[in-house]
Amino acid sequence: MTARRLFAIAALGLLLATSFGAGLLPKFSYSAQHREFTDAAPSLRFPLGTDELGRDRMARLLSATRVSLVFAAAASLGALILAALIGGVAGYCGGWCDRALVHGIDLMLSLPWLFLLLAVRALLPLNAAPLTSLLATYALLALLGWASPARVVRAGVRSLRDSEFVLQARAEGVTELRILLRHVLPNLRPILLAQFWTSIPLFILTEANLGFLGLSAGEPFPTWGSLLRELQDPLLVRPEAFAPVAAIALSVVCFKLLSPRGGYQV
Amino acid sequence: MRPLLSAFVSVDYPGRPGVLQGVDLEIAPGEILGLVGESGSGKSTLALALLRLLPFRGGTTRGELRLRERDLLALSERQMRAVRGREIGLVLQSPISALNPAMRIGRQIVESWQAHRDHSPDLPGTLEMVSLPTEPSFLDRYPSQLSVGQAQRVLIAMAILHRPALLIADEPTSALDAVTQAEILKLFARLNRQLGMAVLYISHDLLSVASLCHRIAILQQGQIVETNTSEEIFQRPQHAYTQALLRAIPRVPEFLPV
Repeated sequence: MTARRLFAIAALGLLLATSFGAGLLPKFSYSAQHREFTDAAPSLRFPLGTDELGRDRMARLLSATRVSLVFAAAASLGALILAALIGGVAGYCGGWCDRALVHGIDLMLSLPWLFLLLAVRALLPLNAAPLTSLLATYALLALLGWASPARVVRAGVRSLRDSEFVLQARAEGVTELRILLRHVLPNLRPILLAQFWTSIPLFILTEANLGFLGLSAGEPFPTWGSLLRELQDPLLVRPEAFAPVAAIALSVVCFKLLSPRGGYQV
Repeated sequence: MRPLLSAFVSVDYPGRPGVLQGVDLEIAPGEILGLVGESGSGKSTLALALLRLLPFRGGTTRGELRLRERDLLALSERQMRAVRGREIGLVLQSPISALNPAMRIGRQIVESWQAHRDHSPDLPGTLEMVSLPTEPSFLDRYPSQLSVGQAQRVLIAMAILHRPALLIADEPTSALDAVTQAEILKLFARLNRQLGMAVLYISHDLLSVASLCHRIAILQQGQIVETNTSEEIFQRPQHAYTQALLRAIPRVPEFLPV
């Protein structure tokens, strides 16, 4: 394990541990409004100050960290399952089925992503419950993010299907189901893991973009993206308001460091 | 004597018709038939066609294919699966890539038995027959931890596990060094003698099959140009291509003591 990977694991572990630890303390409430301290500067009580409603920015950031990391991973898992199913069927079946699915994947990849996200997300009523809007946002990410991993999975399944050891297994009279479960799937694991790790930072960034435009989880629920909205205020030049940006950048860098690159080992 | 396997097959790939054009082949029970031809002459295609594995590679097989008078081309895929591995075994060319890299070899051997379960497996006996260790520490290895020669022996063990009547070996020694090559050739001769197994031995190297095979068939551009006993092929080659193959055999330079 390289120093870079150790750093990434330590930093992500710290982010997760502090955000989940803070969730256990009643003091750190993301929605409690301290009306007597609106727009306060950083202090011992509020290390990152408070927002215009007097809510503790530190508490909101930690809460957002929890939500963004967990839901980005969940969305990545969802996208991966879709990618494995669609890419797997395309690669394994081949023929017209493969051609149709590849055209579908190409279509997904050629859609104007951000526009589509905005359009679909904007269909949701603005007064939707915060939790509904949160789930909808990440479900949307998973539903739109499967195409590029599916393409990789398809290529992997295809080369495994045509591999010598699958041919050998067929020559021994092994059934197609066993070939799929014991020969194709286990050798696909490194590919699936790589796609899982690379999708997480992508989803974190996409959610941040949506949140900045006000299309992520509804108030009062904080996510990294929704915290960025505060930066739209031109008067807000305080450095502490950029803490969510730092958290996003740090986590994305860590995930990039963690995602396996090139020559995997079986 | 009634032939064990008789074939008269033509094979097309999409966009590449006539890869095999009416290849006529008969293998008697217990016989070792050598199939020799240069790269691209259709040797591996023929090996796959005999097991009806070509559809998985996009090819189509026409003609006649009979195993003990049973029409293999008329069998359903399910019935054909019962033939593969149990009545006809196959050993592929590159031993390391023919083994699943994510599976312990012991597990792979067991899987090859479980594909048919028609008798209790004589696993230690089979491993001994191919001169492989039988201890668990060996069977727990992954293919990447084997030498090429060991991997080839594992493949052979898997192919003879069900004591098939015919063993097809597709260039089984081309990835091996000269010493291991000689050992594997001897192993095939022994399997043939001990188990009475017929062998279709495919090679690009006329010299290596000379000592092993009873008869030799010469394949050129998808057609069999000559079939004869090994002695006849070497002493009285009929076809121009056979003569060219014989001339291409490297000679020991005269300055070397033999």
